Amino acid sequence: MSRTDGELLLLWTLPGVAVIWLSAFLLFPGFVHPMSPALSAEEVAAFYRDPENLPRIRYSMILFNWFAVGFVPILALIALQIRRMAHRTPIFAYAIIACAAGGPTIFLMADLFWLLAAFRPMRDPQLTLLFNDLAWVTFSSQVGFLIAQSVILALAIYLDRQERPVFPSWVAHFNLVVAALLIPAAFVGAAMTGPLAWNGVLTFWVRNAAVGLWIVVMAVVLGRAIRRQRAEDEAAAG
Amino acid sequence: MNEKRELWIGWWTLVVFYNLYGLLFFVITRTQPPPRPALEPSEIVRWFADRHDGLLYGYAIVFIVGGATAIMNATLAYTMRRMSVSRAFAYAYLLIYALATLPGMLLMGIACTVGAMRPDRDPALMSWLYDFAFLSFEGTMGVFLIGSLIWMVAVLLDQNGVFPKWFGYLNLCNALTEVVVAPAWIFQSGVFAWNGAIAWWINMGVFVVYTIVFLTLIRRLILREDFGTGPLPELRTDAAA
Repeated sequence: MSRTDGELLLLWTLPGVAVIWLSAFLLFPGFVHPMSPALSAEEVAAFYRDPENLPRIRYSMILFNWFAVGFVPILALIALQIRRMAHRTPIFAYAIIACAAGGPTIFLMADLFWLLAAFRPMRDPQLTLLFNDLAWVTFSSQVGFLIAQSVILALAIYLDRQERPVFPSWVAHFNLVVAALLIPAAFVGAAMTGPLAWNGVLTFWVRNAAVGLWIVVMAVVLGRAIRRQRAEDEAAAG
Repeated sequence: MNEKRELWIGWWTLVVFYNLYGLLFFVITRTQPPPRPALEPSEIVRWFADRHDGLLYGYAIVFIVGGATAIMNATLAYTMRRMSVSRAFAYAYLLIYALATLPGMLLMGIACTVGAMRPDRDPALMSWLYDFAFLSFEGTMGVFLIGSLIWMVAVLLDQNGVFPKWFGYLNLCNALTEVVVAPAWIFQSGVFAWNGAIAWWINMGVFVVYTIVFLTLIRRLILREDFGTGPLPELRTDAAA
């Protein structure tokens, strides 16, 4: 069993984990028709108290709690591909590893706030509103590590000057576009309605679609890079 | 092509980020220097209302650029890779500071955003968000304490002369500020409170000096660095990171 076999095994966990993420996304009643920040404390409390919603909130967030970090191995594989690039220092690979540590931690905080709101739905509605706000603001606004990861990857690809670069240069352009699409979500606190609100077109739909597309595209190019690496390793071993 | 471009990208990110950080925290959000801990809930509601736009837009920018810390910490970790010490120092520093970004600014930003977005929230809860913001920011000490000590030990053990030994001891000064800030969890007024002479002013003073010093030293390191035009290191033949 070669080193790249293990890497491909890790990569192939992604389709399974992605199906679980998609299921959890559809299960959470606050995502399919994203709940509005303009709801009153009483309406938010009623959302959590609704016997139809409550188990779906809990089960979806438990699923995310289990599997959100399933993306970390994929980021580790990206870091390894960056190490194969024609760079003088390991700085870009280190930076991706730093993003891999920070990003999932933030998502897990949002997950905890949702689960806390659902744990005692009969709490004072003001407290449920607070947890719900903390969850949505953390989930929506924390695009920093995702942006950094895309920009760092793009820079790493642009500076990979060798005959056959690890990733083609369109992957770098694609990452910069994704990074740009994530920016509006940071302004989530400034709008209760409209495209920037946490249920808005830019903050919710564009951002989440960009993240989803990024995962699919990176998985495909990563798979190709690892396979090419394996072929080269085998050729070198003769 | 500049052989040192990766290092210069890291260094310029550090310089731009720290300037922006100062601008965002002192001028745009007006959350530094910190206000008094001992405010009444009604005063805290007014504190949020006074800074409404600054908090919401200022922290949005913090959230957008916050991930830049990854490339900054990678650059600092690289200085340890240049030293004659184990890679464990660079890895430990990188991971600790990756997590430090949360209490270092992101948690405060989330608390301030949630506080500012609903000015009509129950004042008792606004008061909790206010405490959450400032205590997560100033009262999270371990990541900076241990991180600085790791850099200190690496500098003192290093035989390659990457940094002068006195910089090792300056790391100790930075680490000690994280010790003296601990009483901010206990006192609501006086020199030990989160806005006090010891917990804030000395802390910030040392941090500013420390930052200017390491930026200068890293710049000199990059200028000194000689990659030559030889083959790229660890390419193809060694897949280990």
